[in-house]
Amino acid sequence: MLVSLEAKLINRKYLDSVKELVKPHTPQYCYQCAKCTSACTASKVIPEYKPHLIVALTRMGLIKQLLDSGIIWACTECWKCGEYCPQNVAPVEVIIALKNLAVASGYRPPEDLIAMARNVIELGRISPPIEVLSKEFEIYSRESLNLPPLVRPYAHESMRKTLKDLLGGL
Amino acid sequence: MGEVRIGVYICHCGKNIGGVINPSRVAEFASKLPNVVVARDYMYMCSSPGQMLIEEDIKRHNLNRVIVAACSPRMHEPTFQGVLKKAGLNPWLLEMVNIREHVTWVHEDVPDKAEEKAKELVYAAVMRAQHLYEITIHRLPVVKSALVIGGGIAGIRAALDLANAGIKVYLVEKKQSIGGKMAQLDKTFPTLDCSKCILTPLMVDVARHPNITIYAYSEVVDVSGSAGDFKVKVRLKPTYVDWSKCTGCGYCTERCPARAPREFDEGLGTRKAIYFDFPQAVPRRPVIDPKYCLWFTKGICRACEKLCPVGAIDFNQKDRYIELNVGAIIVATGYELYDMTKLREYGYGKYKNVITGLQLERLSDADGPTKGKIVRLSDGKEPETVAIVLCAGSRDEKHVRYCCRFGCAAAIKHVYYVKHSVPEAKVFVLYTDIRAFGKGYEEFYQRLRGMDDVYFIRGRPAEIFEAKDGSLIFDVFDSNTGQLLSIKADLVVLESAVVPPKDWESLRRMLKISCDPGGFALELHPKLRPFETTADGIFLAGAIQGPKDIPDTVAHAAAAAAAAIGFLSKGEVESTPYLAVVNEDLCSGCGLCASVCPFDAIEIKEEGGRRIAKVNVIRCKGCGACAATCPSGAMQQNYFTDTQIVSEVSALAGGAK
Amino acid sequence: MVKVLLYLGCTIPTKQYAYEISARNVLPRLGVELVEFPEAGCCGFPLKGINKNAWIYMSARILSLASMRNLPILALCNGCDTSLRKIKTLLNEDESLRKYMAKLLANEGIELHTDVEVYHVVDLLHDVVGVNKIKELVKKPLTGIKIASYPGCHLLRPSDIPRPEDSVDPRKFDNLLSALGASVGYYPDKGGCCGATMLPYSAKYALRVVAGKIKNIKEFNFDAVSTSCPYCMEMLDAKQDAARSEVGDESISIPVFYLTQLIGLAIGLSPKELGLSLNLSPVEGVLEKLGVSLSG
Repeated sequence: MLVSLEAKLINRKYLDSVKELVKPHTPQYCYQCAKCTSACTASKVIPEYKPHLIVALTRMGLIKQLLDSGIIWACTECWKCGEYCPQNVAPVEVIIALKNLAVASGYRPPEDLIAMARNVIELGRISPPIEVLSKEFEIYSRESLNLPPLVRPYAHESMRKTLKDLLGGL
Repeated sequence: MGEVRIGVYICHCGKNIGGVINPSRVAEFASKLPNVVVARDYMYMCSSPGQMLIEEDIKRHNLNRVIVAACSPRMHEPTFQGVLKKAGLNPWLLEMVNIREHVTWVHEDVPDKAEEKAKELVYAAVMRAQHLYEITIHRLPVVKSALVIGGGIAGIRAALDLANAGIKVYLVEKKQSIGGKMAQLDKTFPTLDCSKCILTPLMVDVARHPNITIYAYSEVVDVSGSAGDFKVKVRLKPTYVDWSKCTGCGYCTERCPARAPREFDEGLGTRKAIYFDFPQAVPRRPVIDPKYCLWFTKGICRACEKLCPVGAIDFNQKDRYIELNVGAIIVATGYELYDMTKLREYGYGKYKNVITGLQLERLSDADGPTKGKIVRLSDGKEPETVAIVLCAGSRDEKHVRYCCRFGCAAAIKHVYYVKHSVPEAKVFVLYTDIRAFGKGYEEFYQRLRGMDDVYFIRGRPAEIFEAKDGSLIFDVFDSNTGQLLSIKADLVVLESAVVPPKDWESLRRMLKISCDPGGFALELHPKLRPFETTADGIFLAGAIQGPKDIPDTVAHAAAAAAAAIGFLSKGEVESTPYLAVVNEDLCSGCGLCASVCPFDAIEIKEEGGRRIAKVNVIRCKGCGACAATCPSGAMQQNYFTDTQIVSEVSALAGGAK
Repeated sequence: MVKVLLYLGCTIPTKQYAYEISARNVLPRLGVELVEFPEAGCCGFPLKGINKNAWIYMSARILSLASMRNLPILALCNGCDTSLRKIKTLLNEDESLRKYMAKLLANEGIELHTDVEVYHVVDLLHDVVGVNKIKELVKKPLTGIKIASYPGCHLLRPSDIPRPEDSVDPRKFDNLLSALGASVGYYPDKGGCCGATMLPYSAKYALRVVAGKIKNIKEFNFDAVSTSCPYCMEMLDAKQDAARSEVGDESISIPVFYLTQLIGLAIGLSPKELGLSLNLSPVEGVLEKLGVSLSG
């Protein structure tokens, strides 16, 4: 991840929004000990993914390339970084805030996530009940397994409206 | 006192005052005020001729009150008080009015109004001066002796400096021997001196010094009295050995069949039930630990008693209490390491091969559990890879917020220990910042980072796990190379955070000293007075005031001793002029004053069938809380009596005429 | 006897049917009365990446609906459990957030209430039903089977809200497995992540995460893995074959069971009552050892 170091690109706007979103966590106190990256689940399989670097870039407002790369969606939200961070930065909270900011700024989250969100709005759950295949290639469904049928959630219409507002134009 | 005769002096202070207002007009105004006998203005009141002017006026005009309108009293109040003294007047018949910092320096832009303000302030001072009275300073003799609590290097240094100055010193140490943490170290950074080699001569000096009495295996249980005259109760814990008979031959310790974990080895080695802390112990007198002694636990053995050539064993010993009367107290109770089991992600206490830096010192020490060989605790084999983790618990909002100060230098030293003991070993130092600030530290750091197979990794591990063979595995991101490293280490050393001793809280309350957010003793001023406290006569030496390495500890302790020597050499303590004074006729003994006094200076005593508040003139620091609280006005504060203050305020409220 | 609302979340009732089947058949036999909670929808966990307030709103809704029923919630999924407990804490600490959520819900005629007890299967069984009670009911102990408990990240963290398991030293899951007669043991990074949340970003890398976990576990000679979360099960069980191909390591193969399935086996239920034919990992070996056949 090559990032331009021109000082004029540094701007506080993003840090200020992130700071507001992650209260009471304190990303401004990060001293780059990298304990988060040492713990991080994602960094073990994706070498470019480094939570301490994401926090450092966010502090300087150098995040356009960060959001462009879409790497923030790699976070598994395992919360190890938040648990071990000695300065209550909680990189996971910063990344969730960046995810929210990205969507609000018009970036598209991963397609599967969009699909889940659409299903929650329409059906109240991230997916309709699906048919599954066993090891013996038999097909099973809720009915064939004698499980009670699913119903729409309580007050689904009003829930759908509220969610549509909260989730933006998805 | 009779007739009040006031002299008022308005200073020009060059252009500072004279350049904004007209001092002679203010003097003229003052001359017409009640009981003002003479009013002058002069260029520099604080100068020799200026002072002479006042002195002569006092004599010539029989003045009994002096008002000087000039700079802040913090500048020259003592100067002008000196003038009064010289002229035979009580110095607290002086009043200063600040017409520089409070008038001409801040109201330059409105000189007319400034002059009005100056006049009003002088008027208020004149009205207050009517009610000033002579203040007596109480002087009590100090006891020319000192108590040093804690026998580590700080206490040792302080005790020696005090004793060399001719002061009788009592050194109280809770362990069997003095020496503290420094005795547990193998070597000291950056010179790699053998720690005990440089420490033990000082310990012997303490033992031999005619002015020092050591009370080892003892603790302070009560402190009362006041600066210059403290009464301290010390509990001498039962050692079950008569130390006056014992010669320190050590035969008993050789023969004792019982075994106990050795605290001196940080739990790694064993000792007997009757033991010295370490071979060079001072005093060299053993102690029996009833938790492990076979006689106390099972009713058998008593071998030590049978073998002792001078019959010093005494199983019937009880607590003994002595009372010491000292003029000054130096607190040198040191530090402890933060409990590493709290840093659960590192597995200390769970995995055998995760140890603290202090435990590594014990492994490296020839007197330690492995006779100086650095080995894995799980199987006693030499480690091939050692990982040293810095800031374990430090700089961490979830554990200890502050830096431990000496962890970096200790880690560099520990690299040396490992390479010295196992030259082929790979050593990884996992750091966040290397703080090599002291004299010789950077050179020491250079030497070690230049060594083969020594890797300084800039990263902090998050979780340490155990592999099947007992070695430790963990990931750490190295900012230097930008790589996520996977490390397998045979031994992991944690440089732990540093905290005040667990049991220090009760002592702190006995001495009535505050603590800082970390729990360490609060100094009087962090920059200028780091070895003094708000409690007169009580000084701080060493790490109890905050984590320190040995050079800083020794300097701090010597400073504390010097301050104590200065305090004691005056021969007497003075009460504050702003003393709280009780009008016993008005006092109802309600006790509200005593409940708000932060210095415990007020006692409610039974006298003649009544309860009356009595002020300890040395403990009182003149804060005024009691006078403000007293509902009847019986408690007044010298120089700030209700009458004085009210007359000043009324004058200001009424306006200058 | 403890009565709880059976909160299934999203993944279990739409895909991970074995968890629902085994829970419905096993829990009542342990003294847990399951009350249907069909009106509850998603807890909002997957939505927090898009909008945090959407997540908080969904969980606040569930808590309020449960409060209307006056019963505690039993969450089967780790993610649901975390969501409900986290939102409970958030809304108790942040006054303005609480007002905002109360307003959103009031617009739908729902009153915001968060003082509902939330349980997960692990702490309900360990702390409320009790390990001893379960031991008494064991008829066919899982002797000789060494099982690796896989509690999953969201059972352990974040630890500043009440979690069913201790964040560094999770023991309850192991205690439950021991009560069934199985042997348990240590393996590094027991609290590690299965990588499920990374799936939308990159299936490839997510599979590498789970492959690494299985490899860890196999090194320590376990016969099987047990989990209590449908996401973890999806990764460890359903995607085990894909993980194996992704890293090209034939040794990435181990039977994976839901905790409820194992309890069911130990108290004598049949594979059909536990949905065992839906497990995609090679469970036959372990079942054979226990004298159980899938077709039974």
